[in-house]
Amino acid sequence: MDRLRTLPAILADAAAAGSGITFVDRGDERHRTYAEMLSAAQRVAAALRAAGLRRGDLAALVLSDAEEFLTTLFGASIAGIVPALVYPPLTTVDLPQYLDATGRVLRSAAARAVITDATLAPGFATLRATCPTLDIVLSRGDLDAEPAHDLGSASLDDIALVQFTSGSTSAPKGVTLTHRNVSANIAAVNGPHGLRTAHDDVAVSWLPLYHDMGLVGMCLGALHAGCPIVLMPPQTFVKRPAEWLRAITKYRGTISFSPTFGYELCVRRVKDRDLESLDLSSWRVAGCGAEPIHAPTLFGFADKFASVGFRAGSLLASYGLAEHVVAATMAPLGRGPRLETVADEDLVGCGRALPGHEVRIVDEAGEPVADGEVGEIVLAGPSVMLGYYRQDVLTAETIRDGWLHTGDLGCLSDGDLYVCGRAKDVIIANGRKFHPQDVEWALEDVEGVRRGHVVAFGVPEAGRADRIVVLIEAKGSASADRLTPAIRGRISDLFGIFVDEVVLAPAGTITRTTSGKVQRARAKARFLETENCELGTQN
Amino acid sequence: MSQPASTVEEGVIDVLKAVSRRPIAPTMSSELVSDLGFDSLQVLEVIAELEDKFDISIPLNDVPATRTVGQVVAQVATLLEARPVR
Repeated sequence: MDRLRTLPAILADAAAAGSGITFVDRGDERHRTYAEMLSAAQRVAAALRAAGLRRGDLAALVLSDAEEFLTTLFGASIAGIVPALVYPPLTTVDLPQYLDATGRVLRSAAARAVITDATLAPGFATLRATCPTLDIVLSRGDLDAEPAHDLGSASLDDIALVQFTSGSTSAPKGVTLTHRNVSANIAAVNGPHGLRTAHDDVAVSWLPLYHDMGLVGMCLGALHAGCPIVLMPPQTFVKRPAEWLRAITKYRGTISFSPTFGYELCVRRVKDRDLESLDLSSWRVAGCGAEPIHAPTLFGFADKFASVGFRAGSLLASYGLAEHVVAATMAPLGRGPRLETVADEDLVGCGRALPGHEVRIVDEAGEPVADGEVGEIVLAGPSVMLGYYRQDVLTAETIRDGWLHTGDLGCLSDGDLYVCGRAKDVIIANGRKFHPQDVEWALEDVEGVRRGHVVAFGVPEAGRADRIVVLIEAKGSASADRLTPAIRGRISDLFGIFVDEVVLAPAGTITRTTSGKVQRARAKARFLETENCELGTQN
Repeated sequence: MSQPASTVEEGVIDVLKAVSRRPIAPTMSSELVSDLGFDSLQVLEVIAELEDKFDISIPLNDVPATRTVGQVVAQVATLLEARPVR
């Protein structure tokens, strides 16, 4: 049984064990041992204290560079400062919009500091006017001081990190994890009943570090096991998916995770001529999770890369969410995808709960349902988050009697969890979750849109991202033709996703509850009904 | 060697059509996102395909400012001009 450790202890142990991180980006490669990462983190810790930050203060990390991100995360942790993971802007085109949304996150978190890169620091400095607690904006490049030895030490029940997910800016939700949460999860995931990660494994990842799968699933997992990890920027992968497989080939990668969409990009975009230089025979855990798992994509991947040594048995389906650190259930090693038909859909089994953890399916009253019946997935155990940062009501709604209510629908069959949908109305695109209210808020001030009369939702489509529909009531004579480009442009700049349809709704169609909440489900149901009627008449 | 503008134009349009997963008819004034329906992943895919096709390297910093097909064509043409003669 692994003993639980704080983040600084995990890094210190990894430093003592040798090994390290290789940062790659196409031709470039840069190696840092874990010992070098530790000493850089110690210098950051001292600099953060010197800048006036105290134990327990929350500092938002907005950094795209992986090495800077990791040394800052551990530096904050060593100094007893709570690091909050905030996603960096996709582009600087709509910087004011991005800062406005991020300002809401900082206010909700009562952030005392922002640590970012030199290009974004001036923008964040302007937020001090509207974020009363924010006194310190630091540029990562300036954080360097002689290591100090009197910084105190963390206990397992202190907060290890707060993760603000990309899609929750309108009602910011900071998933708050203790060192105990994080350590318990990575120990279970990588332990003898999990991936059996050992020091001779090699992890390879292109996943962003401000998300749980990239940071905890891949990076902290490798540190925990003291094995090397190879990191590449997400943009490099998305631009040239073959780079991921080249890195696995070159470094003899054994463990690498991705949402379905990463496998899909490889199936569609890796060219035949790229296959010649690949050798995927070392890859023993090809993990898949974070969004609904699409079976044909996984089988397509296994077929396409079988000739270069990829084994379908390496595909390992998992289910998890940030509120449960990262993983909650995992298929057994070496089994490959197991299929079952649930409600006319072929679903991939996501395995059993991690050791020491529990998964149940419950009905609306919270009572467990029989095997094979669909209900809400609820989780219990040491990985269940402490709560949402400074959001007691929301936390109490989400964690009830020790059970984390995920909002996801699923069923248990033969011990395996099958995930079949979402009870909460999130939109899934490009492997990320977006909250409809963020999309709606972003469109409030688009010329021609009636303020407060916007509804956004995703229509799940088999094997691809959701179809994203925006329903609006227009002001004056604005037409869909005129509004569509402005709406698409705004959403693409802010979220990097494409709005498939902009639909003008007659005045009075978009209704609100007595408490003022927009009735999204009702608008969506009406839209789908109309669409079905039209399809019916066409046939 | 510089290529005639029409070749660049045709090449760019071929790439856009290949990357798009719906039928499109791009013109020089079409915007990639709002008219042709490219999301941020597809924009990166377009860049990778253009780099391969024209043997150039497109700096990611310039991408946000490039919105129309005409701007893409102009940027590719500029990069081709700047490419060392072999």
